[in-house]
Amino acid sequence: MKVDKQSVVALLGGNGTGKSTILKAASGLIRSWKGTIEFNNEQIQNLPPHEIVARGLVQVTQGKDVFPAMSVTENLRLGGFILKTKQQLKDNLEKVFNYFPRLNERKDQLAATLSGGELQMLCIGRGLMSNPKMIMLDEPSAALAPQIVLDIFKNINRIRKDGLTVLVVEQNVRMALLLADYGYVIKDGVINVEGESKKLMYDESVKESYLGGTKANV
Amino acid sequence: MFEKFRLGKRGENIIFTIFILIYVAYCLNSPDMSFESFKTVLTIGLSVGIIYGLVALGISLIYTGLDVVNFSHGEFFMIGAFAGLTMFNILGNQDWIFNLFPEAYGWIIYVICLFTAFVSMGLFGVFIERIFLRPLTKKGGGYTVAGMGIIICGFGLSVVLINVAYLIWNPVAKPFPAELGLPMEIGGIFLPITYVWMIIVGLFVAGGLWVFLNKTKMGLGIRAVAFSKDVSNLVGINVPLYISIIFGIACAIAGIGGTLVGPTYQVVVFMGYIILMKAFAAAVVGGFGNLPGAIVGGFTVGIFETASSFYVSGSHKDLYAFLLMIIVLMIKPTGFFGVQVKMKA
Repeated sequence: MKVDKQSVVALLGGNGTGKSTILKAASGLIRSWKGTIEFNNEQIQNLPPHEIVARGLVQVTQGKDVFPAMSVTENLRLGGFILKTKQQLKDNLEKVFNYFPRLNERKDQLAATLSGGELQMLCIGRGLMSNPKMIMLDEPSAALAPQIVLDIFKNINRIRKDGLTVLVVEQNVRMALLLADYGYVIKDGVINVEGESKKLMYDESVKESYLGGTKANV
Repeated sequence: MFEKFRLGKRGENIIFTIFILIYVAYCLNSPDMSFESFKTVLTIGLSVGIIYGLVALGISLIYTGLDVVNFSHGEFFMIGAFAGLTMFNILGNQDWIFNLFPEAYGWIIYVICLFTAFVSMGLFGVFIERIFLRPLTKKGGGYTVAGMGIIICGFGLSVVLINVAYLIWNPVAKPFPAELGLPMEIGGIFLPITYVWMIIVGLFVAGGLWVFLNKTKMGLGIRAVAFSKDVSNLVGINVPLYISIIFGIACAIAGIGGTLVGPTYQVVVFMGYIILMKAFAAAVVGGFGNLPGAIVGGFTVGIFETASSFYVSGSHKDLYAFLLMIIVLMIKPTGFFGVQVKMKA
């Protein structure tokens, strides 16, 4: 599996097929038993998680993984934990508030009081705080209303246009393929189908692989 | 079927209030009750309570950071007291300090002792965590079977530290003759000034910890690690380093507590055990894992204990802390400030 610079790659698959495990392995939360993970021509599979973040590879988890007892600003400041100077932190905060004006409105609120969509924005914003080169999104559309999903995907598109590489893990096949340049479909931990996202969109085997035999209505 | 008998928040508060009223009425009826004795009880209770609170603070910090209860924390308290005493014995013979500050040399030496205890116990705590607990926390921390290992390791560490201290300092109780000034008069009663020192320094340390946790970047990281290690990893925090820092800070605070009680009581090898148990009671009363709760719990246990030994019966002094803990657990299992506690070993 390969993610080119400044592209958007979608990783698709049903429940329990190993999508999130790939992300966890890439960000160092779990050790891979075999195989290698390379980032910028450097093997990272044995590095501790904070070193991987320092190299510019950031995983954005689902919206529920924020620090609920801290304010929005504090959550974002944690995202920029590896930044050295306060000026960088301030610039990045402005950048994130530029992407998500909604967070600016609520910056002093506790994260626990945010809605699902705002939590997801907060998570993505937190990922962007550390000046990453590549972000890996774990199901940005999970448990959100269609309108908010659309909003978030528009923002992901903006992020990508600003020069970031994005790997997006999704169950919402249609949205992910609309956004992505290239797609991988994973089944039982093995890559089943891959190809340009436009082709995958009309590929019958994707529908089958995704829902395990039943035709998906994509 | 027990669901039916569970009290709501309101019911808990009502029963608590009734309990407190009965207790206060009992104390008021006691023949020893007077305004003077009440002031004494309050001062001693607060000073003892802040010590329980400081140790409970460390226990709560380690509980949030490492997900386990550290049963060797009392020994860090004891070794901290010895570290302060050692520094005191070194500095006490130095004439130049006396010549430099003839007015205030007593408390300057004492502050240096407190600082020594703080720094040395912090470094010692980090060392202990790196050497003895790291292999266990690496395996997954308190949520897994390894958590049980850390608890047993804590008991073992407690025995080892007591015996090492026994080898170095003998089991004889040692005086800590800090010269802090004349006894203070509170409403016609003379109390050693060390009680006031305990309260002031204790509150200062607790307040300093609050500022550190809420206003600095490292404090932000510590709160993040305390909440979730996975998410902390993802934002680029060096989690093992921060766990060491948490352990070090907890031990440093315990060390200060030890040096604080030194001049009032005496420094003995076996002083850590009962303090640990009472601090544990204080942490439970305040809400386990809640840092302001630890201090409030410490005050509550300290005042309850002192008041009971004054007005109820002085011969069962060590009993009251646990009595209060049992009552709180019966009526309000989460403690004063506790949230629904996460499943931890």
